[in-house]
Amino acid sequence: MAEVHVIGQIVGGSGFPESSLFCKWKVQMGSAWRVLQGDQEGQTQVDDPSDEPMANWCHPIDLHFATKGLQGWPKFHLQVWHQDAYGRNELYSYGFCHIPVSPGYHELDCVTWRPKGTLIEELKTQFIGGSSQLKNPDLVSSSAELYKLRTVSMGKVHLRLHIIVRDFEKYGVEF
Amino acid sequence: MSTKPTSFLVFVNGAIENAEVNDYDELYLRFSYVIGKDWEICSGLDEGTTQIAHKSVQVGSKIVFNFPLEVTFRATNPFGWPQLVLSGYGLDTFGNDVVRGYGTTHIPINPGRHRIRIPLFTPRSSSRFQQFLGWMMGRRPEFVDPKVIAFNTGREMTRVRSHGYVQVVFNVVTKDMDALGYRIQSKHASPTGSKQSENTDSAHADNPYS
Repeated sequence: MAEVHVIGQIVGGSGFPESSLFCKWKVQMGSAWRVLQGDQEGQTQVDDPSDEPMANWCHPIDLHFATKGLQGWPKFHLQVWHQDAYGRNELYSYGFCHIPVSPGYHELDCVTWRPKGTLIEELKTQFIGGSSQLKNPDLVSSSAELYKLRTVSMGKVHLRLHIIVRDFEKYGVEF
Repeated sequence: MSTKPTSFLVFVNGAIENAEVNDYDELYLRFSYVIGKDWEICSGLDEGTTQIAHKSVQVGSKIVFNFPLEVTFRATNPFGWPQLVLSGYGLDTFGNDVVRGYGTTHIPINPGRHRIRIPLFTPRSSSRFQQFLGWMMGRRPEFVDPKVIAFNTGREMTRVRSHGYVQVVFNVVTKDMDALGYRIQSKHASPTGSKQSENTDSAHADNPYS
């Protein structure tokens, strides 16, 4: 079995309409993959930056995968949420990002989007808060189903990841 | 005849260079390393405190530490790769020692020289009144154990305010990772990967809209 280590941070997010954001992350992978060590999902702190437009989460990621094949290479499903002054949480956007395939250091910017509702729903979002959400968040990375959606762009999530691989040469995989 | 190694070493040199902050003039940092259970520190301090450093009179100057970090780790498994955890403290206007920020970063994995800009953040008070009390009494919210910021769990409902950065330089060398079968660099540099180890002063933190 070949192994992959993903070590790094979800550094922060920028380009969103408001600050006071947090991020929920989850790892999604194919059936050939198994997580040996590390948490598969988590939620960052809520950051309200005092002078910069970028929310800093500095959330550590440390995952150890074992795999029998290259299909289903793991990816992150990200959801950026906003917490207002009263402590209410609303979903801001969805995004997904493949874990880089080559060993080494990578700085990634994961772009995100949110579903766009009807005119009435958009007005409600504007005045009351809350937002349209996907019934099935796993849709974010399924190429077959996304044609049904209408979406609006949101900001980016920044990640810094180091990838270490082991024993892929035995299977003839070149990096 | 050499036997196959059972563990690898990570040798780290470097310095906490400076801190860029706007609201206050002096700072000292406490640092420590958080490592997994398959790791141990062979040599070097696993925690310490820097000097108390002040800004110079020039406008826009940084708080310079130039504080040496030297440590060697031994491990059998990259899981639990060491993280440097920093907590910054300083005096407020009333002369109380208050927390100025926490920050954390992974020790870089690739051999070479890396400059990393670590954002600092402090926990926020639950309400305005608490915030005012904290300012008056000099007892701001702080983490009981700063090492909690190096873990995934338990961070969900911490609310923080981020402000300021600490620049740290690491020089990293690894030993026996290849012999154990770990590949930490690809043969061909990828475009996103080539941004490391040169001056990451201009990392995306400076340019969030790029």
